[in-house]
Amino acid sequence: MLTTVVGHYPKIPNRPRPARLRQAIARYERGEISREELARIEDEVTIEVIQEQVEAGIDIVSDGQIRWEDDQTYIARRLHGFAINGLVRYLDTNTYFRQPVVRGQVRHPGEPFLVRDWRFAQEHSPRPVKAIVTGPVTLARLSQDESYGSHERLVMALAEALAPEVKALAEAGAPIVQISEPLILWHPEDLPLLRRALATMLAGVACETALYTWFGSIERIYPQVLELPVTTFGVDLVSQPRNWQVLGQHPFPADRKLAAGIVDGRNTRMEQVEEIVAAVRHLSRIVPPDRLYLNPSCGLEYLPREVAQAKLQRLAEGARAARQQLGVEA
Amino acid sequence: MQGALITSAVGSYPKPDYLVRARNAFAQGKLEVAELRRLERQATEYWVRVQERVGLDVLVHGEQERGDMVAFFAGEPGGVVIEGMRLGGLVRSYGNRYYHKPIIAGKLRWPGPMTVDMWRYTQSLTDRPVKGMLTGPYTMVEWSFNEHYPTREAAVMDMALVIREEVKALVAAGCRYIQIDEPAIHTRPEEDFDLAVEAFRRVVEGIDCEFHTHICYGPIEKIYPGVLRLPVKQIHLAFKNTNYQYLKLLEEHPWPADKVLGVGVTDVHNHKVESVEEVVEGLRLVLKLLPPQQVWVLPDCGLKTRTPEEAEGKLRVMVEGVRQLKRELELE
Repeated sequence: MLTTVVGHYPKIPNRPRPARLRQAIARYERGEISREELARIEDEVTIEVIQEQVEAGIDIVSDGQIRWEDDQTYIARRLHGFAINGLVRYLDTNTYFRQPVVRGQVRHPGEPFLVRDWRFAQEHSPRPVKAIVTGPVTLARLSQDESYGSHERLVMALAEALAPEVKALAEAGAPIVQISEPLILWHPEDLPLLRRALATMLAGVACETALYTWFGSIERIYPQVLELPVTTFGVDLVSQPRNWQVLGQHPFPADRKLAAGIVDGRNTRMEQVEEIVAAVRHLSRIVPPDRLYLNPSCGLEYLPREVAQAKLQRLAEGARAARQQLGVEA
Repeated sequence: MQGALITSAVGSYPKPDYLVRARNAFAQGKLEVAELRRLERQATEYWVRVQERVGLDVLVHGEQERGDMVAFFAGEPGGVVIEGMRLGGLVRSYGNRYYHKPIIAGKLRWPGPMTVDMWRYTQSLTDRPVKGMLTGPYTMVEWSFNEHYPTREAAVMDMALVIREEVKALVAAGCRYIQIDEPAIHTRPEEDFDLAVEAFRRVVEGIDCEFHTHICYGPIEKIYPGVLRLPVKQIHLAFKNTNYQYLKLLEEHPWPADKVLGVGVTDVHNHKVESVEEVVEGLRLVLKLLPPQQVWVLPDCGLKTRTPEEAEGKLRVMVEGVRQLKRELELE
């Protein structure tokens, strides 16, 4: 029963700590510092947020996606075939991202673009670092297609373009590759397509893989989603409390793991340790603890930095208390 | 207000440099509040004179005292504080932009008049009517963290009572037009639309005043024609930014005779000032579907992100376009 995170982590702390990355980006945009100098600060902030996760007691951390402006454009800018358009709202949040536009054939650039990030993070982390890739359905659904004219062909092209990246991450030693696919919840009709896409994207990938969703109801994809060729299914149990019932209605297969989002990544209200223990107790009736991950309901950038770390601390505390009470080992 | 093609604005105008500097100094504790208020009023008067000079019919005060439309009510530096709210830490909204996201930490209560002084001051400067400007209960809650209420619904309905008290205070001061913005209303159109409408009703019900609302950017198609259920005289939408595509919605489901359509004719996210012709052409499309008595003409949204010159330019082409159309249609 390990604790982990879903992806991003707030990029800047609050006063009196300095907002180094915000200042560096502003200076870079004004032409006052070089791309290399900005990259150096991104690296330093990455180390800082890994330390914060480790200090909080999280077992499997991420690099905080400090270099990512959002889940879509960090990938789209690095694949061939994309341009980047104006701001659009990200799902039901009050945050915005620049919409990728598919202008040509989507292709991998040849050199891996996430491996250096992962390797850097792992070198600076005493805990395993998971790699994160936005999934093909989510990328396709949140982009504007001016090239393929067929959602299906675009998704399959994205899967082919991302396959070398996932493979490179696994070969570099990433213990887990997380595929972020929140949009499958809004487009359950894409599930058979996602299945084919993942078969392409994960062919020959030996490491553990996870498919994470957030914000929505899993009702229309569950339990079929467990047939996808990934080890772990990540579900947000906070935004949609009904997801608890849906999970409980079906037996959980013995060859799959569940990643349960039980700490609210979108609200500053702190969960109590007892709430977390109760959630784990409930979860342990659905899936045995050795196949259970505990994590926040989504990435943590919707929270101020200090609250994000406090939430992770509370999650780790709750997990410790639950292990004791249920008599399981970490 | 009765009349054809009445011109007005949506809310905010850019702050002059001296006010931006003063707000920063105030936030750092280096400026007295009295001096900040004096400079806010100076800037407000500037925008009143601009609007008069350009020839707007109904003025706005320009929100020189506000930073963010929600955080202003939750204790941003220089702002006011609804009881139960406080300012939280920084959260990123996009790119390298961050804001202090408010927190609802306790029972929401009206703290006494929050916007009346500034409205009264602005109205004292001019014979033309000045709109009262508030943020709607759904948006206030949606753009805040909620640590107190068990559900979003409970928070929104209590927030409605707070905004209602402010409406009553504005009306008591003599305000006849109040615009209550709900830009977050289409965040969860399936799940929450009824709640947003019910809360809005709770704000305005039984109060004698002309109410307007402004809803910008987002999937308007998902909330039309449902949005017509909002108990307001006028609904304003950003037409220019979407190239008047909303007119398709009005073709499918006609705009009701008892509501005014506020038409945004200048794009507030574009530095280029539109030509008078563009304004006239856009309005001609609108007037194919609605009589001029049912149309108000405004920019797409608040103009605070433009330079002062661009903002004035965007008002000017709007008013000139309306004058030209009125001559053609022999409306005056």
